[in-house]
Formats: sequence, C-alpha cells, structure tokens
Amino acid sequence: MSAALPTVRGDNMNKCILEMPSYTYAQKAEKLLRSKGIPSDIKRRSTGCGYVLHVHTDCRAAAHMLDRYGIPYVLRENGGSP
Amino acid sequence: MIVNFDNAATTYPKPDCVKAAVYEAMERYGGNAGRGGHALAAATSEAVYSAREEIASLFGAEPENVVFAMNCTHALNMAIQGIMTGGGHLIISAMEHNSSARPVAKLAADGRITLSVAEVYPEDEKTLASFRSLIRPDTKAIVCTLASNVTGQILPFRAIAQLCRERSICFIADGAQACGIIDVKLSDGINILCTAGHKGLYGITGTGLLVTDGSFPIAPIMQGGTGTDSMSLRQPTLPPESLESGTVGVIGIMSLKAGAEFIRRTGTASIFRHEDAICRRFMHGLSADSRITVYRSPAARYVPIVAFNVEGMTSGEVAARLAEEGYCLRAGYHCSALAHTMLGTENGAVRFSPSYFSREEDAVRLAELIKKL
Repeated sequence: MSAALPTVRGDNMNKCILEMPSYTYAQKAEKLLRSKGIPSDIKRRSTGCGYVLHVHTDCRAAAHMLDRYGIPYVLRENGGSP
Repeated sequence: MIVNFDNAATTYPKPDCVKAAVYEAMERYGGNAGRGGHALAAATSEAVYSAREEIASLFGAEPENVVFAMNCTHALNMAIQGIMTGGGHLIISAMEHNSSARPVAKLAADGRITLSVAEVYPEDEKTLASFRSLIRPDTKAIVCTLASNVTGQILPFRAIAQLCRERSICFIADGAQACGIIDVKLSDGINILCTAGHKGLYGITGTGLLVTDGSFPIAPIMQGGTGTDSMSLRQPTLPPESLESGTVGVIGIMSLKAGAEFIRRTGTASIFRHEDAICRRFMHGLSADSRITVYRSPAARYVPIVAFNVEGMTSGEVAARLAEEGYCLRAGYHCSALAHTMLGTENGAVRFSPSYFSREEDAVRLAELIKKL
C-alpha cells in the first residue's frame, strides 16, 4: 500500500501528507513517529472520509519508519491535498 | 442479601475503576470514534485507540488486531464464518458452548463445511490424540474453548495450537471462561482469540473481543460504515475497521479498557489463586455428602468453576431453593448441549462460579445450605 517516495528533493520533502487506511492506523503511525522524534498530526481528509497524517519535519524518515513497521499508507507529495 | 456465584455468566460486582470509566466515558467521550475530525470525535477516537492498546498488551497482540464485538458469541461468529468462507473441514471440541457449536452446526447443515467433534477427556494426552486423529488434508480450522463453561476444565490449548501450527490450520480459541483468570497470549499459538468482555475481563455487558495475530484473513460477515473510503461500496479489508461496521460501543469499550487495566494490576495468578481457593473451600464443604456429585476429575485442571448435582433434585430445583436464600447460581444446560451430552447430565447441573470479589465465608455458608436441602 505504501507509495514510492517522490524524486523531488529539497525543503518540500520535509513535509508531506500520508493518507492512512483508517483512524486506527493513523494513531498507530503517529505514536510510532513521535517515539522516533518525528512529529506529525492526525487530520481528517480535506475531501471525503478518512484520515491523513501531516508530517512536519522529515518525510523520508517517516515513510521509512512506517515501511519498516509494516504500517500501510499512501504518500501525497509535498503536502498535496489528498 | 444477594451473593453472586454466577460469575461465569457475567461478573458482578464490577471493580470501582470500571464504574468510574463508564461515568468518564459518558462525560467525555460523546463523539463517534473514527468518524469526523472535530474535537469530540478526536477525543473519542483517541480513547478507543488507547483501549485497543491496553487490550493488545494484555494478549500480546498489535492494537490494530483488536476488534471490538458485542460479546463472545459475536466474536466467534465473525471468526468462524470469516475463516470458513469457501468451505473446508473444521474441528471443534465436545466441550464447546453453543456460541461455537451452533454456528458450525449451521454451516455444516447448509453443506458449506464438513464438521468433526473431538472428544474431551480428563487426560490432556487423550484429548490431544482425539484432535490429532480428526485432522484431514482439508482441515481449515480448529475451534476450541480454553476452558469449559460447564465444568471449568482447561483444555490442552497450547498443544492443540502446536498441532495447528505444524499443519497451517487456523486455531480459533474461545476464551470466555479463561481470559482474565489464566494467562492467555497469542504467543500460545492462538491465531484468533474470541472472548467476552463482561466476564473475567470485568467490562460491562454488551462487550466482546476478537483478537487476531493477523496470519489468517477474516472475511467480514457484516458490511457497512467504517468512517473511511466512504465513496466506495466495497468493504475495507484491513482490521479492525473491516470487522467493526457501524458505530462502536464507546462506553463498553472504555469499561473493557478499565477491566483490562484491573487484570494487569491485580495479575491473573492472584485472581486465579483467590477464586480457586473459594472453589476448594466450597467443594470441601460439599464433600461429606454422598448425595452430591461434583463434576471434576483429579486428572484434569480447572478454572474456578464447580458443576454439581444433588441426588433427588433437578438442577433447577436446587438453584431455585438457593435463590430463595439470596444465592445466585446457574442451573440447567448453560447453553452447552455438547458438554452436557458428554457429561451425561440429562437434567443439567448447577454451576458455582466465584469472582475476584467473592468471599470464602459465603462459599462455606452456601455449602452448608446445600447439604441441608
């Protein structure tokens, strides 16, 4: 379910939105990232139902961490609206 | 005076922390968990997730693999029907409650599965041999209670789990009479643990759990709103939401969290020791009366339940007489046709089941009363 990281590099890669399959996974991901020093916020999707994780500092590390722990997500590039 | 010795049906009283959790949930968690993004919904969603974490910790699971259900029967139906979709062979024990026995009997009667029933003996080796002899190449699952709700006999579930693991068979466990009283973990080899929330876990009635290790996908038996992907008419596939269509029972869930915390703080060893001591005092009190039959064998291990009969009286008559004195015990067949058939108790039995809040002196007085019947 996880998407490949975008090839774009630069400051924008510090922030991203991760679309989560459910609130449960959003909560699990947020707690995991927080324990690894990567702050994020759970938000309601701006359109439709579901939850996203706003990552504020290190998107690549966040995605790597979720992959490592088998937490499914879909990466929305550079904070693009899901 | 009410003295409850029918805790195998549902525990009463509940711990103070559970009562407080119910009140707190009413006061603070008035949103709909996993729906909406406003403060009330977010607080409720966080609270429900914290309950998943607590329960996951109790059973050695991941939070997303904790599914809230209405009761153990609901959880068992989800597990059995969700695993046996597509058919196959299934084995149950001869000690199963109707919560397992009826769903599998229905599937078998409809020609959707084939079914075998393994005999249960006081000796674990013989019970295990019975299960082993019934396994076929197309055996898909074994459903087994961890402890009988009639006699309290503990089945050799870790050895049965090992049989399943060696053959990639799904092991579905009914933990209704064991969880909170003996230590139960998914690492025992259980693939899907189904249990009541309102018995040994001390939650309120209307709560149950399905806890899975995720190794066998469970097809939902019910579809509906899950709070995600709402424009799709297809049910999500990931638990817990895939198995929790509709609004979850937040108040019950928070009571269950508090109950699980109570179990963790108190310890199953301490709970078992206390309840087992009460059972032993009770049985000792009955032992001098030759009219009384207690359904226990020295070769078996038991959770704190004592099934008995008094010669010359039906189980219903005994329970009714005791009820006149304020003692609550369950008579009849305990929704367990298979177990009573196996025991040969054609008129049922009386079941004595204490809780952590029961007192030895009440059990002693009850035994004295029974001897005077």
